[in-house]
Amino acid sequence: MNNPIFLVAAREFRQIAATRGFWITLLIIPFALAIAPVTAHFMQKDHTAHVMLIDPSGQAAPAIAARIALDHQRQVLQSLSRYSESHDLDRADPHALWARHDQYYTDAEVQAFIASGGLTHADAAMRRVAAPNTQPFGEPDPDYKIVPTPTRLATSDPAALARILPAMVSHARKEPNAEPLDYAVYIPADLASGRAPVQIWSDGPIAGDLMDVLQSTLTRALRLRFLQAQGVRPEMADAAQQIAPMVVVNRPAAGKGREQVMIRSILPLLVSYLLFMSLMLSGSWMLQGTVEERSNRLIEAVLACVSPNQFMYGKLIGTIAVGLTMVAVWVLAAIAAAFATQGMIADILRPALEPLSQPSVALAMIYYFLAGYLMISMIFLTIGAMSDSFRDAQAYLSPVMLLIAMPFAIIAQMVIRDPSSLGVRIMSWIPIYTPFTMLARLGAGVPLWEVIGSGLTLAAFVAIEVVLLGRVFRASLLGSGPKPSLAHIARLMRGRESD
Amino acid sequence: MTALLLDQVTKDFGDKRAVDDLSFAVGDGEVFGFLGGNGAGKTTSLRMVLDIIRPTSGRIQILGRRPGRENSADLGFLPEERGLYRTMTALETITYFGRLKGMTRNDARAEGKTLLDRFGLGGSANTKIEKLSKGMAQKVQLATAVVNAPRLLILDEPFSGLDPVNQGLLEEEIMRLSRQGSTIVFSTHVMQHAERLCDRLLLLADGRKKFEGTQDEARATLPTRLRLTARETPVGLPGVVSVAKLQETDGWTDWDVRLEPGGDPGDLLQTCTERGFALRRFEQGRPSLHDVFIHIVGGEEGRA
Repeated sequence: MNNPIFLVAAREFRQIAATRGFWITLLIIPFALAIAPVTAHFMQKDHTAHVMLIDPSGQAAPAIAARIALDHQRQVLQSLSRYSESHDLDRADPHALWARHDQYYTDAEVQAFIASGGLTHADAAMRRVAAPNTQPFGEPDPDYKIVPTPTRLATSDPAALARILPAMVSHARKEPNAEPLDYAVYIPADLASGRAPVQIWSDGPIAGDLMDVLQSTLTRALRLRFLQAQGVRPEMADAAQQIAPMVVVNRPAAGKGREQVMIRSILPLLVSYLLFMSLMLSGSWMLQGTVEERSNRLIEAVLACVSPNQFMYGKLIGTIAVGLTMVAVWVLAAIAAAFATQGMIADILRPALEPLSQPSVALAMIYYFLAGYLMISMIFLTIGAMSDSFRDAQAYLSPVMLLIAMPFAIIAQMVIRDPSSLGVRIMSWIPIYTPFTMLARLGAGVPLWEVIGSGLTLAAFVAIEVVLLGRVFRASLLGSGPKPSLAHIARLMRGRESD
Repeated sequence: MTALLLDQVTKDFGDKRAVDDLSFAVGDGEVFGFLGGNGAGKTTSLRMVLDIIRPTSGRIQILGRRPGRENSADLGFLPEERGLYRTMTALETITYFGRLKGMTRNDARAEGKTLLDRFGLGGSANTKIEKLSKGMAQKVQLATAVVNAPRLLILDEPFSGLDPVNQGLLEEEIMRLSRQGSTIVFSTHVMQHAERLCDRLLLLADGRKKFEGTQDEARATLPTRLRLTARETPVGLPGVVSVAKLQETDGWTDWDVRLEPGGDPGDLLQTCTERGFALRRFEQGRPSLHDVFIHIVGGEEGRA
């Protein structure tokens, strides 16, 4: 194909694709997606903390161990509920606790779950209705494991413990073959007196939920004792401890609504950020190329073969092709990561990519993406045509970058809070922010009239921009001398000083 | 047939008139010199021919057509300010420009290889421009201009910045293309090159045409100069405009004699013989193009 526009575009593409920066940028997201599951795997491995309870009274430790065991079973029940929902297995036992979703399970419910056979029974029920290739349920690792307390410690006083325990919980000072130990907790026998504190030894910060377990269990024991001391009957005092509000988590129904919640938080900003990132990178590469063409004085030879307009369109198409290639590779990598892997990354990416399967949303996204690319690339191109060096270009570039980048941060925050807020809707109608804002909003649903209206406004703006900046571009290509002032640029836009 | 025609072409940049009512024609197969000092309007005129800029008024015809990119398949252009894409190889560069001029990829590559071989750069075909010496890059640039065997080759100050070896190479290439029937138009302010290459030439000053014609016609605009050694003064002989005494030896005097423009030295020699005017030396000086240039343009350039 010998169309000069495509020849210029192909050369522009090849020049940018030959740079190391392009390949690093292109591969950074696939690389990040590839190592994310591995990193997550390593981070998740062995996250069970080992806890030693030193309880001279022998009353508190069993209660704490029971609480930790119950909390773990609650976690198992919640995981089973999510597993059943995502694999559509509720029919295995519609009355089972795990077939009720989005609910906080009370202690009584967790105990009922255990009493009814727990995980083993639930898993067997689900296997009966699950398709043969359904991924098996993976029991979550417990957060805490109680390790046995050596006799010599069980009978030591707090002063002796303070000498021995720091070395046992210290990762640095621990003996090579020693049992793992993250926390050692001493519960004084006379806790109720208020004179002796509970002491915890740890090599780092104390996990918040361990603190909750200790506090709630010990507080409960103290209150029970207090109520009984006040003459309340033991069974009444115990019943008072069981009083808890029933909490139901309200989320949209599983399916479309659920996905929208995810989309609102992930896809819009992801796509908008992709546009922004790839634009800034490919735009600056093109700008460098144009500055090189000017400073190397090869424009005149090119202009003898192609018209300034063909040259301009060729460069724009080449740059857009670079940007689209980057985004296509990133999206393909995300799709591969979403469907070829399991775990957190896939759980986030799958619903995030969902809107791309709706042709109208995908089309609108492509439109805003291309229009945004054209709009910003044109600015970069014109700056390149007016500059003899990258330093010259910086003088024009800095205010332009500020104009685009600063509101982008604000848009991101506004969209996180509410994708259909008034501020976001106003930004949607300001052409230089339309692509970013609309891309950020599309996943969450935008009224059709707004999509069409802001799309047409953007198209008109880009058309006028290409005409006006095109005049500056053509007039500046062979220009020399000092950088044109703003007044001069305005005259060039009006076509007063062409040629 | 006329390869290039400019008819009353004027170009204004704001208040400044860069080219003023310029008309000339270049015949098919001619080597045409476009001579003028810096700022005379040469580059502007050539850019209008190539449609890089448009004239304010007047008409341009190139190979019988209006200026435009549709002519690029038949055109070659070497700009005064030269540069290449640093990260492209020599062969890629030539191929790229060949394709911009409508050649197929295969033809452009094949012709590029032939040119690089002829210019002694066959071994550097796949070397990036940034790794080539300046002289080598100049040869690649020349190759980009002639890769399509252009019917009309336009060279803007082609010899500026070239080392003597590449100047010779360029002259050979111009002569080779001329022999193959190409029309060559080149601008220069170095008269020696014009003297060696041009069939006809045009002198430009302040955007206006000062002369158009052959080298002999250009020289004829200067007074004919003679060196005479005689016993008597040549003052008063027919056609003599001015006489300057140079030196005297043994009764014979050397004279610098100027005839009126177009004056024939043969007529003067005949008169001397008929009148018995004693001569020991009668030597006709041939004015250089440099002299012609200074004579026609020099004053205006000086005033500019």
